[in-house]
Amino acid sequence: MATILLNSIQSEWMKTKRSAAFWLVLSGGFFIPGILTLVHLVYIKKLGKIYANTPFWEKWLINGWESMSVLLIPMGIVLATSLIAQLEYKSNGWKQVHTTPQNLTTVFFAKYTVVLVLMLQMFVLFGLSMYLAGAIPAWYYGHIQYPKEAFPWGRFIQINASFYVMALPIVALQYLLSIQFKNFMVSLGAGVALVVAAIIALSWRYVYLVPYTYGAIYYLQLQGKMRFKSNILDIHYLALIYFFAFTLLSYILYLTKKEKG
Amino acid sequence: MNQASMYCIETTHLTHQFAPGKNILDDINLQVPTGSIYGFLGPNGAGKTTTLRLILGLLKKQKGEIRIFGQSLAENRVAILRKLGSLIETPSLYGHLTAAENLLLLQKIYQSPKARIPEVLELVGLPDTANKKVSQFSLGMKQRLSIAVALLNQPDLLILDEPTNGLDPNGIIEMRELLKRLNQEQGITILISSHLLAEIEKLVTHVGIIHKGQLLFEGTLPDLVHKQQESSRVSLITNDNARSLQLVQSLQPEAQQQNGKLLLPLLPPEQIAQLNRHLVQNNIDVYHLAVEKNDLESIFMELVNN
Repeated sequence: MATILLNSIQSEWMKTKRSAAFWLVLSGGFFIPGILTLVHLVYIKKLGKIYANTPFWEKWLINGWESMSVLLIPMGIVLATSLIAQLEYKSNGWKQVHTTPQNLTTVFFAKYTVVLVLMLQMFVLFGLSMYLAGAIPAWYYGHIQYPKEAFPWGRFIQINASFYVMALPIVALQYLLSIQFKNFMVSLGAGVALVVAAIIALSWRYVYLVPYTYGAIYYLQLQGKMRFKSNILDIHYLALIYFFAFTLLSYILYLTKKEKG
Repeated sequence: MNQASMYCIETTHLTHQFAPGKNILDDINLQVPTGSIYGFLGPNGAGKTTTLRLILGLLKKQKGEIRIFGQSLAENRVAILRKLGSLIETPSLYGHLTAAENLLLLQKIYQSPKARIPEVLELVGLPDTANKKVSQFSLGMKQRLSIAVALLNQPDLLILDEPTNGLDPNGIIEMRELLKRLNQEQGITILISSHLLAEIEKLVTHVGIIHKGQLLFEGTLPDLVHKQQESSRVSLITNDNARSLQLVQSLQPEAQQQNGKLLLPLLPPEQIAQLNRHLVQNNIDVYHLAVEKNDLESIFMELVNN
Protein backbone atom coordinates (compact mmCIF):
# COMPACT_ATOMS: atom_id res chain seq x y z
CA MET A 1 0.00 0.00 0.00
CA ALA A 2 2.81 2.42 0.97
CA THR A 3 4.66 1.61 -2.27
CA ILE A 4 1.54 2.19 -4.33
CA LEU A 5 1.02 5.56 -2.63
CA LEU A 6 4.67 6.48 -3.14
CA ASN A 7 4.50 5.59 -6.85
CA SER A 8 1.34 7.61 -7.15
CA ILE A 9 2.92 10.61 -5.40
CA GLN A 10 5.93 10.40 -7.77
CA SER A 11 3.56 10.31 -10.71
CA GLU A 12 1.62 13.32 -9.42
CA TRP A 13 4.84 15.19 -8.65
CA MET A 14 6.01 14.74 -12.24
CA LYS A 15 2.88 16.49 -13.45
CA THR A 16 3.94 19.69 -11.68
CA LYS A 17 7.22 19.81 -13.60
CA ARG A 18 7.37 23.06 -15.62
CA SER A 19 3.73 23.74 -14.69
CA ALA A 20 2.39 27.18 -13.80
CA ALA A 21 1.96 26.03 -10.17
CA PHE A 22 5.65 25.05 -10.02
CA TRP A 23 6.80 28.48 -11.25
CA LEU A 24 4.33 30.23 -8.98
CA VAL A 25 5.68 28.45 -5.90
CA LEU A 26 9.24 29.18 -6.93
CA SER A 27 8.64 32.86 -7.58
CA GLY A 28 6.35 33.12 -4.50
CA GLY A 29 9.19 31.95 -2.26
CA PHE A 30 11.67 34.46 -3.68
CA PHE A 31 9.38 37.44 -4.26
CA ILE A 32 9.55 39.38 -0.96
CA PRO A 33 13.18 38.44 -0.14
CA GLY A 34 14.14 39.46 -3.68
CA ILE A 35 12.55 42.88 -3.23
CA LEU A 36 14.16 43.30 0.22
CA THR A 37 17.58 42.41 -1.21
CA LEU A 38 17.23 44.95 -4.01
CA VAL A 39 15.98 47.67 -1.65
CA HIS A 40 18.90 47.17 0.69
CA LEU A 41 21.43 47.00 -2.09
CA VAL A 42 20.17 50.34 -3.35
CA TYR A 43 19.50 52.11 -0.04
CA ILE A 44 22.76 51.12 1.56
CA LYS A 45 22.55 53.72 4.33
CA LYS A 46 19.50 52.11 5.87
CA LEU A 47 21.29 48.83 6.12
CA GLY A 48 23.61 49.75 8.97
CA LYS A 49 20.61 50.79 11.09
CA ILE A 50 18.74 47.60 10.34
CA TYR A 51 21.71 45.41 11.16
CA ALA A 52 22.15 47.22 14.47
CA ASN A 53 18.56 46.48 15.47
CA THR A 54 18.86 43.39 17.73
CA PRO A 55 17.86 40.62 17.71
CA PHE A 56 18.30 41.28 14.01
CA TRP A 57 17.46 37.93 12.44
CA GLU A 58 14.13 37.30 14.22
CA LYS A 59 12.94 40.85 13.53
CA TRP A 60 14.15 40.52 9.95
CA LEU A 61 12.17 37.35 9.38
CA ILE A 62 9.00 38.66 11.03
CA ASN A 63 9.29 41.81 8.98
CA GLY A 64 9.48 39.64 5.86
CA TRP A 65 6.31 37.85 6.91
CA GLU A 66 4.29 41.08 7.09
CA SER A 67 2.89 41.09 3.57
CA MET A 68 3.40 37.36 3.09
CA SER A 69 1.12 36.33 5.96
CA VAL A 70 -1.77 38.66 5.19
CA LEU A 71 -1.93 38.57 1.42
CA LEU A 72 0.77 36.82 -0.57
CA ILE A 73 0.73 33.41 1.08
CA PRO A 74 -3.10 33.06 1.05
CA MET A 75 -3.24 34.26 -2.56
CA GLY A 76 -0.33 32.01 -3.52
CA ILE A 77 -2.08 29.01 -1.99
CA VAL A 78 -5.37 29.85 -3.72
CA LEU A 79 -3.63 30.14 -7.08
CA ALA A 80 -1.19 27.24 -6.81
CA THR A 81 -3.75 24.75 -5.45
CA SER A 82 -6.28 25.71 -8.10
CA LEU A 83 -3.62 25.39 -10.80
CA ILE A 84 -2.61 21.89 -9.67
CA ALA A 85 -6.17 20.57 -9.78
CA GLN A 86 -6.70 22.47 -13.01
CA LEU A 87 -3.89 20.44 -14.60
CA GLU A 88 -6.32 17.51 -14.68
CA TYR A 89 -9.33 19.43 -15.92
CA LYS A 90 -7.34 21.25 -18.59
CA SER A 91 -5.78 18.02 -19.87
CA ASN A 92 -8.92 15.87 -19.50
CA GLY A 93 -6.68 14.00 -17.09
CA TRP A 94 -9.19 12.93 -14.45
CA LYS A 95 -10.56 10.12 -16.62
CA GLN A 96 -7.04 8.87 -17.24
CA VAL A 97 -6.17 9.05 -13.54
CA HIS A 98 -9.38 7.26 -12.58
CA THR A 99 -8.81 4.41 -15.01
CA THR A 100 -5.38 3.60 -13.61
CA PRO A 101 -5.21 0.73 -11.12
CA GLN A 102 -5.30 2.84 -7.98
CA ASN A 103 -8.02 3.12 -5.42
CA LEU A 104 -9.64 6.50 -4.97
CA THR A 105 -8.03 7.06 -1.57
CA THR A 106 -4.58 6.74 -3.15
CA VAL A 107 -5.47 9.19 -5.93
CA PHE A 108 -6.87 11.71 -3.45
CA PHE A 109 -3.98 11.62 -1.01
CA ALA A 110 -1.23 11.44 -3.64
CA LYS A 111 -2.39 14.68 -5.22
CA TYR A 112 -3.01 16.22 -1.80
CA THR A 113 0.52 15.31 -0.68
CA VAL A 114 1.94 17.00 -3.75
CA VAL A 115 -0.04 20.17 -2.98
CA LEU A 116 1.14 20.13 0.65
CA VAL A 117 4.76 19.51 -0.34
CA LEU A 118 4.67 22.27 -2.95
CA MET A 119 3.39 24.67 -0.33
CA LEU A 120 6.06 23.50 2.09
CA GLN A 121 8.59 24.13 -0.66
CA MET A 122 7.36 27.72 -0.90
CA PHE A 123 7.82 28.20 2.86
CA VAL A 124 11.29 26.65 2.83
CA LEU A 125 12.34 28.77 -0.16
CA PHE A 126 10.99 31.85 1.56
CA GLY A 127 12.90 31.07 4.77
CA LEU A 128 16.17 30.41 2.95
CA SER A 129 15.87 33.41 0.71
CA MET A 130 15.02 35.64 3.69
CA TYR A 131 18.31 34.52 5.23
CA LEU A 132 20.11 35.30 1.96
CA ALA A 133 18.30 38.64 1.67
CA GLY A 134 19.64 39.54 5.10
CA ALA A 135 23.15 38.32 4.38
CA ILE A 136 23.79 39.27 0.74
CA PRO A 137 24.02 43.08 1.19
CA ALA A 138 26.57 42.60 3.98
CA TRP A 139 28.57 40.16 1.87
CA TYR A 140 28.39 42.48 -1.11
CA TYR A 141 29.33 45.66 0.79
CA GLY A 142 32.13 44.28 2.92
CA HIS A 143 32.45 47.49 4.96
CA ILE A 144 28.97 47.15 6.54
CA GLN A 145 29.05 45.36 9.84
CA TYR A 146 27.40 41.99 9.59
CA PRO A 147 25.06 41.15 12.52
CA LYS A 148 27.17 39.76 15.35
CA GLU A 149 24.57 37.39 16.77
CA ALA A 150 24.55 33.74 15.72
CA PHE A 151 21.90 32.88 13.20
CA PRO A 152 18.88 31.55 15.23
CA TRP A 153 18.11 28.49 13.12
CA GLY A 154 15.76 26.95 15.69
CA ARG A 155 13.61 30.07 16.05
CA PHE A 156 13.73 30.61 12.29
CA ILE A 157 12.38 27.12 11.63
CA GLN A 158 9.82 27.38 14.41
CA ILE A 159 8.36 30.65 13.07
CA ASN A 160 8.24 29.37 9.50
CA ALA A 161 6.70 26.07 10.64
CA SER A 162 4.02 27.96 12.58
CA PHE A 163 3.16 30.03 9.52
CA TYR A 164 2.91 26.77 7.54
CA VAL A 165 0.44 25.36 10.09
CA MET A 166 -1.57 28.59 9.84
CA ALA A 167 -1.76 28.11 6.08
CA LEU A 168 -3.01 24.51 6.23
CA PRO A 169 -6.75 25.29 6.52
CA ILE A 170 -6.50 27.43 3.36
CA VAL A 171 -4.69 24.62 1.52
CA ALA A 172 -7.35 22.10 2.58
CA LEU A 173 -10.34 24.24 1.60
CA GLN A 174 -8.76 25.31 -1.69
CA TYR A 175 -7.99 21.68 -2.51
CA LEU A 176 -11.61 20.79 -1.84
CA LEU A 177 -12.87 23.57 -4.12
CA SER A 178 -10.30 22.88 -6.83
CA ILE A 179 -11.05 19.19 -7.25
CA GLN A 180 -14.81 19.62 -6.90
CA PHE A 181 -15.31 22.29 -9.52
CA LYS A 182 -14.19 22.00 -13.10
CA ASN A 183 -14.42 25.74 -13.64
CA PHE A 184 -11.15 27.33 -12.55
CA MET A 185 -12.97 30.56 -11.72
CA VAL A 186 -15.03 28.90 -8.97
CA SER A 187 -12.06 27.89 -6.81
CA LEU A 188 -10.11 31.00 -7.71
CA GLY A 189 -13.05 33.38 -7.19
CA ALA A 190 -14.06 31.74 -3.90
CA GLY A 191 -10.44 31.76 -2.71
CA VAL A 192 -9.88 35.44 -3.52
CA ALA A 193 -13.23 36.37 -1.91
CA LEU A 194 -12.28 34.47 1.26
CA VAL A 195 -8.86 36.13 1.42
CA VAL A 196 -10.46 39.58 1.10
CA ALA A 197 -13.13 38.64 3.68
CA ALA A 198 -10.36 37.47 6.02
CA ILE A 199 -8.58 40.83 5.79
CA ILE A 200 -11.83 42.59 6.68
CA ALA A 201 -12.48 40.09 9.49
CA LEU A 202 -9.19 40.98 11.22
CA SER A 203 -10.96 43.76 13.12
CA TRP A 204 -13.85 41.48 14.13
CA ARG A 205 -14.13 40.14 17.68
CA TYR A 206 -14.75 36.59 16.41
CA VAL A 207 -11.88 36.66 13.97
CA TYR A 208 -10.61 33.30 15.29
CA LEU A 209 -13.57 31.60 13.58
CA VAL A 210 -12.21 32.61 10.17
CA PRO A 211 -9.37 30.24 9.23
CA TYR A 212 -8.10 32.39 6.34
CA THR A 213 -7.00 35.01 8.92
CA TYR A 214 -4.69 32.74 10.92
CA GLY A 215 -1.48 33.72 9.14
CA ALA A 216 -2.20 37.41 9.73
CA ILE A 217 -3.24 36.74 13.36
CA TYR A 218 0.00 34.86 14.02
CA TYR A 219 2.00 37.71 12.50
CA LEU A 220 0.17 40.23 14.71
CA GLN A 221 0.71 37.98 17.73
CA LEU A 222 4.45 37.89 16.99
CA GLN A 223 4.44 41.69 16.77
CA GLY A 224 2.34 41.91 19.96
CA LYS A 225 -0.30 43.85 18.05
CA MET A 226 -3.25 41.39 18.04
CA ARG A 227 -6.29 43.08 19.60
CA PHE A 228 -8.35 40.00 20.43
CA LYS A 229 -7.37 36.80 22.18
CA SER A 230 -8.70 33.37 21.37
CA ASN A 231 -11.04 32.21 24.14
CA ILE A 232 -11.19 28.71 22.70
CA LEU A 233 -7.80 27.26 21.84
CA ASP A 234 -4.33 28.26 20.78
CA ILE A 235 -4.39 29.31 17.15
CA HIS A 236 -2.13 26.39 16.13
CA TYR A 237 -4.73 23.88 17.35
CA LEU A 238 -7.55 25.81 15.70
CA ALA A 239 -5.64 25.74 12.40
CA LEU A 240 -5.08 21.99 12.67
CA ILE A 241 -8.74 21.32 13.56
CA TYR A 242 -9.92 23.27 10.51
CA PHE A 243 -7.30 21.54 8.38
CA PHE A 244 -8.43 18.04 9.37
CA ALA A 245 -12.12 18.96 9.11
CA PHE A 246 -11.73 20.40 5.60
CA THR A 247 -9.57 17.44 4.55
CA LEU A 248 -12.19 14.96 5.76
CA LEU A 249 -14.98 16.85 4.04
CA SER A 250 -12.96 17.07 0.84
CA TYR A 251 -12.22 13.33 0.95
CA ILE A 252 -15.88 12.40 1.47
CA LEU A 253 -17.04 14.69 -1.33
CA TYR A 254 -14.39 13.27 -3.64
CA LEU A 255 -15.34 9.65 -2.90
CA THR A 256 -19.05 10.28 -3.41
CA LYS A 257 -18.68 12.30 -6.60
CA LYS A 258 -20.91 10.70 -9.24
CA GLU A 259 -18.79 11.59 -12.26
CA LYS A 260 -15.09 10.86 -12.16
CA GLY A 261 -13.96 12.20 -15.50
CA MET B 1 -15.76 -22.74 -22.01
CA ASN B 2 -17.42 -21.07 -19.06
CA GLN B 3 -19.17 -17.70 -19.06
CA ALA B 4 -16.20 -16.02 -17.38
CA SER B 5 -13.77 -16.74 -20.19
CA MET B 6 -16.29 -16.46 -23.00
CA TYR B 7 -17.08 -12.81 -22.50
CA CYS B 8 -14.44 -10.25 -21.72
CA ILE B 9 -17.09 -7.64 -20.95
CA GLU B 10 -20.65 -8.40 -19.97
CA THR B 11 -23.26 -5.92 -18.83
CA THR B 12 -26.62 -7.01 -17.50
CA HIS B 13 -29.67 -4.72 -17.38
CA LEU B 14 -27.42 -1.67 -17.40
CA THR B 15 -29.62 1.37 -17.01
CA HIS B 16 -28.57 4.94 -16.38
CA GLN B 17 -30.17 8.33 -16.15
CA PHE B 18 -28.73 11.81 -15.70
CA ALA B 19 -32.14 13.33 -14.91
CA PRO B 20 -35.02 11.52 -13.23
CA GLY B 21 -37.40 9.79 -15.62
CA LYS B 22 -35.13 9.98 -18.66
CA ASN B 23 -33.09 6.88 -19.32
CA ILE B 24 -29.86 7.60 -21.16
CA LEU B 25 -29.22 3.85 -21.15
CA ASP B 26 -32.10 1.44 -21.01
CA ASP B 27 -31.46 -2.18 -20.08
CA ILE B 28 -28.21 -2.64 -21.98
CA ASN B 29 -27.04 -6.25 -22.11
CA LEU B 30 -23.69 -6.08 -23.83
CA GLN B 31 -21.58 -9.17 -24.42
CA VAL B 32 -18.08 -8.63 -25.77
CA PRO B 33 -16.48 -12.02 -26.53
CA THR B 34 -12.89 -12.55 -25.39
CA GLY B 35 -10.47 -12.09 -28.30
CA SER B 36 -12.94 -10.16 -30.42
CA ILE B 37 -12.83 -6.70 -31.93
CA TYR B 38 -16.21 -5.39 -30.98
CA GLY B 39 -17.55 -2.37 -32.83
CA PHE B 40 -19.92 -0.37 -30.67
CA LEU B 41 -21.95 1.70 -33.08
CA GLY B 42 -24.49 4.40 -32.75
CA PRO B 43 -25.17 7.97 -33.79
CA ASN B 44 -23.96 10.86 -31.64
CA GLY B 45 -25.82 10.95 -28.34
CA ALA B 46 -26.91 7.29 -28.57
CA GLY B 47 -25.31 6.34 -25.26
CA LYS B 48 -21.98 4.88 -26.41
CA THR B 49 -19.71 7.06 -24.29
CA THR B 50 -21.99 6.74 -21.25
CA THR B 51 -21.82 2.93 -21.58
CA LEU B 52 -18.03 3.02 -21.88
CA ARG B 53 -17.66 5.41 -18.95
CA LEU B 54 -19.80 3.09 -16.83
CA ILE B 55 -17.70 0.10 -17.91
CA LEU B 56 -14.56 1.99 -16.83
CA GLY B 57 -16.08 3.08 -13.53
CA LEU B 58 -15.93 6.77 -14.47
CA LEU B 59 -19.65 7.08 -13.82
CA LYS B 60 -21.32 5.76 -10.73
CA LYS B 61 -23.44 2.76 -11.71
CA GLN B 62 -27.12 3.17 -10.89
CA LYS B 63 -28.71 -0.07 -12.04
CA GLY B 64 -27.48 -3.31 -13.54
CA GLU B 65 -24.29 -5.32 -13.38
CA ILE B 66 -20.91 -4.96 -15.11
CA ARG B 67 -18.52 -7.88 -15.33
CA ILE B 68 -15.06 -7.63 -16.91
CA PHE B 69 -12.75 -10.65 -17.25
CA GLY B 70 -15.56 -12.57 -15.48
CA GLN B 71 -15.23 -10.38 -12.36
CA SER B 72 -17.61 -7.82 -10.98
CA LEU B 73 -16.31 -4.30 -11.64
CA ALA B 74 -17.76 -3.02 -8.38
CA GLU B 75 -15.79 -5.58 -6.35
CA ASN B 76 -12.54 -5.85 -8.37
CA ARG B 77 -12.08 -2.39 -9.86
CA VAL B 78 -8.32 -2.04 -9.30
CA ALA B 79 -7.46 -5.60 -10.43
CA ILE B 80 -9.55 -5.14 -13.59
CA LEU B 81 -8.05 -1.73 -14.41
CA ARG B 82 -4.55 -3.23 -14.14
CA LYS B 83 -5.29 -5.33 -17.27
CA LEU B 84 -7.11 -2.66 -19.20
CA GLY B 85 -6.16 0.26 -21.45
CA SER B 86 -8.56 2.97 -22.51
CA LEU B 87 -9.09 6.10 -24.51
CA ILE B 88 -12.33 7.93 -23.87
CA GLU B 89 -13.29 10.77 -26.21
CA THR B 90 -10.55 13.42 -26.22
CA PRO B 91 -6.93 12.53 -25.35
CA SER B 92 -5.91 12.88 -21.69
CA LEU B 93 -2.44 14.33 -22.02
CA TYR B 94 -0.47 16.98 -20.15
CA GLY B 95 0.56 19.62 -22.68
CA HIS B 96 3.45 21.05 -20.62
CA LEU B 97 5.15 17.63 -20.52
CA THR B 98 6.88 15.74 -23.32
CA ALA B 99 5.48 12.56 -24.86
CA ALA B 100 7.97 10.45 -22.89
CA GLU B 101 7.12 12.25 -19.63
CA ASN B 102 3.42 11.66 -20.19
CA LEU B 103 4.17 7.96 -20.51
CA LEU B 104 6.66 7.97 -17.64
CA LEU B 105 4.16 9.23 -15.09
CA LEU B 106 1.87 6.34 -15.96
CA GLN B 107 4.78 3.92 -16.04
CA LYS B 108 5.32 4.85 -12.36
CA ILE B 109 1.81 3.70 -11.55
CA TYR B 110 1.71 0.56 -13.70
CA GLN B 111 5.32 -0.27 -12.76
CA SER B 112 5.82 -1.52 -16.29
CA PRO B 113 9.41 -1.65 -17.65
CA LYS B 114 10.80 1.72 -18.79
CA ALA B 115 11.79 0.11 -22.09
CA ARG B 116 8.09 -0.07 -22.83
CA ILE B 117 8.00 3.72 -23.41
CA PRO B 118 10.02 3.81 -26.69
CA GLU B 119 8.33 0.55 -27.65
CA VAL B 120 4.79 1.97 -27.55
CA LEU B 121 5.88 5.21 -29.20
CA GLU B 122 7.32 3.14 -32.05
CA LEU B 123 4.17 1.05 -32.19
CA VAL B 124 1.92 4.08 -32.75
CA GLY B 125 4.27 5.71 -35.24
CA LEU B 126 5.71 8.41 -32.98
CA PRO B 127 9.28 7.14 -32.53
CA ASP B 128 11.00 10.55 -32.82
CA THR B 129 8.71 12.57 -30.62
CA ALA B 130 9.70 11.35 -27.15
CA ASN B 131 11.22 14.69 -26.15
CA LYS B 132 8.70 16.92 -27.85
CA LYS B 133 6.17 18.78 -25.70
CA VAL B 134 2.65 17.50 -26.21
CA SER B 135 1.31 21.06 -26.55
CA GLN B 136 3.17 21.13 -29.91
CA PHE B 137 1.42 17.95 -31.14
CA SER B 138 -1.35 17.95 -33.74
CA LEU B 139 -4.69 16.36 -32.78
CA GLY B 140 -3.78 13.24 -34.76
CA MET B 141 -0.46 12.91 -32.93
CA LYS B 142 -2.22 13.37 -29.59
CA GLN B 143 -4.64 10.63 -30.57
CA ARG B 144 -1.74 8.30 -31.40
CA LEU B 145 0.00 9.14 -28.15
CA SER B 146 -3.21 8.36 -26.28
CA ILE B 147 -3.22 4.93 -27.90
CA ALA B 148 0.39 4.53 -26.75
CA VAL B 149 -0.74 5.42 -23.21
CA ALA B 150 -3.49 2.82 -23.42
CA LEU B 151 -0.99 0.18 -24.56
CA LEU B 152 1.69 0.99 -21.98
CA ASN B 153 0.64 -1.67 -19.46
CA GLN B 154 0.30 -4.41 -22.12
CA PRO B 155 -3.45 -4.69 -21.52
CA ASP B 156 -5.69 -7.68 -22.21
CA LEU B 157 -8.54 -5.36 -23.06
CA LEU B 158 -8.57 -2.07 -24.93
CA ILE B 159 -11.55 0.25 -24.71
CA LEU B 160 -11.40 2.97 -27.35
CA ASP B 161 -14.03 5.64 -27.78
CA GLU B 162 -13.89 7.02 -31.31
CA PRO B 163 -10.10 6.67 -31.53
CA THR B 164 -9.87 7.84 -35.14
CA ASN B 165 -11.12 11.35 -34.31
CA GLY B 166 -8.66 13.82 -35.75
CA LEU B 167 -6.75 11.27 -37.82
CA ASP B 168 -6.24 11.76 -41.54
CA PRO B 169 -7.29 8.92 -43.92
CA ASN B 170 -3.81 7.47 -43.85
CA GLY B 171 -3.78 7.63 -40.07
CA ILE B 172 -7.14 5.85 -39.94
CA ILE B 173 -5.79 3.00 -42.08
CA GLU B 174 -2.64 2.75 -39.95
CA MET B 175 -4.71 2.73 -36.77
CA ARG B 176 -6.91 -0.03 -38.20
CA GLU B 177 -3.87 -2.12 -39.09
CA LEU B 178 -2.35 -1.56 -35.65
CA LEU B 179 -5.53 -2.63 -33.85
CA LYS B 180 -5.86 -5.70 -36.08
CA ARG B 181 -2.25 -6.64 -35.36
CA LEU B 182 -2.69 -6.19 -31.61
CA ASN B 183 -5.77 -8.35 -31.70
CA GLN B 184 -4.27 -11.10 -33.85
CA GLU B 185 -0.73 -11.19 -32.49
CA GLN B 186 -1.29 -10.39 -28.84
CA GLY B 187 -4.86 -11.60 -28.44
CA ILE B 188 -6.03 -8.25 -27.06
CA THR B 189 -9.80 -7.87 -26.94
CA ILE B 190 -10.81 -4.51 -28.35
CA LEU B 191 -14.02 -2.62 -27.75
CA ILE B 192 -14.13 0.30 -30.16
CA SER B 193 -16.93 2.79 -30.52
CA SER B 194 -17.78 4.79 -33.59
CA HIS B 195 -20.69 6.55 -35.19
CA LEU B 196 -19.59 5.43 -38.66
CA LEU B 197 -20.04 1.81 -39.65
CA ALA B 198 -17.95 2.26 -42.80
CA GLU B 199 -15.02 3.28 -40.62
CA ILE B 200 -14.93 0.09 -38.59
CA GLU B 201 -16.61 -2.58 -40.71
CA LYS B 202 -13.21 -3.61 -42.11
CA LEU B 203 -11.88 -4.05 -38.59
CA VAL B 204 -14.48 -5.59 -36.33
CA THR B 205 -15.53 -9.18 -35.75
CA HIS B 206 -18.58 -8.31 -33.67
CA VAL B 207 -21.01 -5.43 -33.72
CA GLY B 208 -23.35 -3.82 -31.22
CA ILE B 209 -25.68 -1.09 -32.39
CA ILE B 210 -27.09 1.34 -29.84
CA HIS B 211 -29.61 4.09 -30.38
CA LYS B 212 -31.41 6.29 -27.87
CA GLY B 213 -29.98 4.22 -25.05
CA GLN B 214 -31.22 0.87 -26.41
CA LEU B 215 -29.14 -1.92 -27.86
CA LEU B 216 -30.82 -2.59 -31.20
CA PHE B 217 -28.49 -5.28 -32.51
CA GLU B 218 -25.69 -7.38 -31.20
CA GLY B 219 -23.94 -10.16 -33.04
CA THR B 220 -21.10 -11.09 -35.32
CA LEU B 221 -20.31 -9.13 -38.46
CA PRO B 222 -21.60 -12.11 -40.60
CA ASP B 223 -24.89 -11.86 -38.65
CA LEU B 224 -25.14 -8.24 -39.74
CA VAL B 225 -24.24 -9.16 -43.31
CA HIS B 226 -26.95 -11.83 -43.22
CA LYS B 227 -29.40 -9.19 -42.07
CA GLN B 228 -28.26 -7.15 -45.04
CA GLN B 229 -29.00 -10.01 -47.44
CA GLU B 230 -32.37 -10.56 -45.81
CA SER B 231 -33.31 -6.98 -46.44
CA SER B 232 -32.32 -7.03 -50.14
CA ARG B 233 -35.30 -6.73 -52.50
CA VAL B 234 -36.32 -7.00 -56.16
CA SER B 235 -37.79 -3.80 -57.52
CA LEU B 236 -39.88 -3.33 -60.64
CA ILE B 237 -41.22 -0.36 -62.59
CA THR B 238 -43.69 -0.99 -65.39
CA ASN B 239 -46.13 0.95 -67.61
CA ASP B 240 -49.04 -0.28 -65.40
CA ASN B 241 -47.97 -0.93 -61.85
CA ALA B 242 -51.50 -1.66 -60.55
CA ARG B 243 -52.08 -4.46 -63.07
CA SER B 244 -48.54 -5.67 -62.70
CA LEU B 245 -49.06 -5.99 -58.93
CA GLN B 246 -52.05 -8.29 -59.49
CA LEU B 247 -50.04 -10.40 -61.93
CA VAL B 248 -46.96 -10.56 -59.70
CA GLN B 249 -48.99 -11.36 -56.58
CA SER B 250 -50.32 -14.49 -58.33
CA LEU B 251 -46.71 -15.72 -58.29
CA GLN B 252 -45.33 -13.82 -55.26
CA PRO B 253 -48.04 -12.93 -52.74
CA GLU B 254 -45.58 -10.77 -50.64
CA ALA B 255 -45.21 -8.26 -53.49
CA GLN B 256 -46.30 -4.71 -52.71
CA GLN B 257 -46.35 -1.29 -54.29
CA GLN B 258 -44.30 1.47 -52.73
CA ASN B 259 -43.28 4.88 -54.07
CA GLY B 260 -44.13 4.00 -57.67
CA LYS B 261 -42.26 0.69 -57.52
CA LEU B 262 -43.24 -2.91 -57.04
CA LEU B 263 -41.15 -4.48 -54.32
CA LEU B 264 -40.59 -8.20 -53.75
CA PRO B 265 -38.37 -10.21 -51.46
CA LEU B 266 -35.02 -11.28 -52.94
CA LEU B 267 -35.59 -14.15 -55.43
CA PRO B 268 -33.27 -16.58 -57.22
CA PRO B 269 -32.28 -15.39 -60.74
CA GLU B 270 -34.49 -18.04 -62.45
CA GLN B 271 -37.59 -16.81 -60.65
CA ILE B 272 -36.79 -13.20 -61.52
CA ALA B 273 -36.56 -14.21 -65.21
CA GLN B 274 -39.86 -16.10 -64.93
CA LEU B 275 -41.52 -13.05 -63.42
CA ASN B 276 -40.28 -10.84 -66.23
CA ARG B 277 -41.56 -13.32 -68.83
CA HIS B 278 -44.97 -13.48 -67.12
CA LEU B 279 -45.34 -9.69 -67.25
CA VAL B 280 -44.22 -9.39 -70.87
CA GLN B 281 -46.55 -12.21 -71.94
CA ASN B 282 -49.39 -10.17 -70.37
CA ASN B 283 -48.48 -7.12 -72.46
CA ILE B 284 -46.79 -5.21 -69.64
CA ASP B 285 -43.80 -3.05 -70.55
CA VAL B 286 -41.05 -3.55 -67.96
CA TYR B 287 -39.00 -0.37 -67.60
CA HIS B 288 -36.88 -1.35 -64.64
CA LEU B 289 -36.08 -4.67 -63.00
CA ALA B 290 -33.29 -4.77 -60.43
CA VAL B 291 -32.07 -6.29 -57.19
CA GLU B 292 -31.77 -3.57 -54.53
CA LYS B 293 -29.02 -4.47 -52.09
CA ASN B 294 -28.76 -2.59 -48.82
CA ASP B 295 -25.19 -1.92 -47.77
CA LEU B 296 -24.24 -2.26 -44.12
CA GLU B 297 -24.59 1.47 -43.63
CA SER B 298 -28.24 1.33 -44.79
CA ILE B 299 -28.89 -1.57 -42.40
CA PHE B 300 -27.40 0.50 -39.63
CA MET B 301 -29.50 3.51 -40.58
CA GLU B 302 -32.59 1.32 -40.93
CA LEU B 303 -32.07 -0.13 -37.45
CA VAL B 304 -31.49 3.32 -36.02
CA ASN B 305 -34.43 4.93 -37.82
CA ASN B 306 -36.88 2.19 -36.92
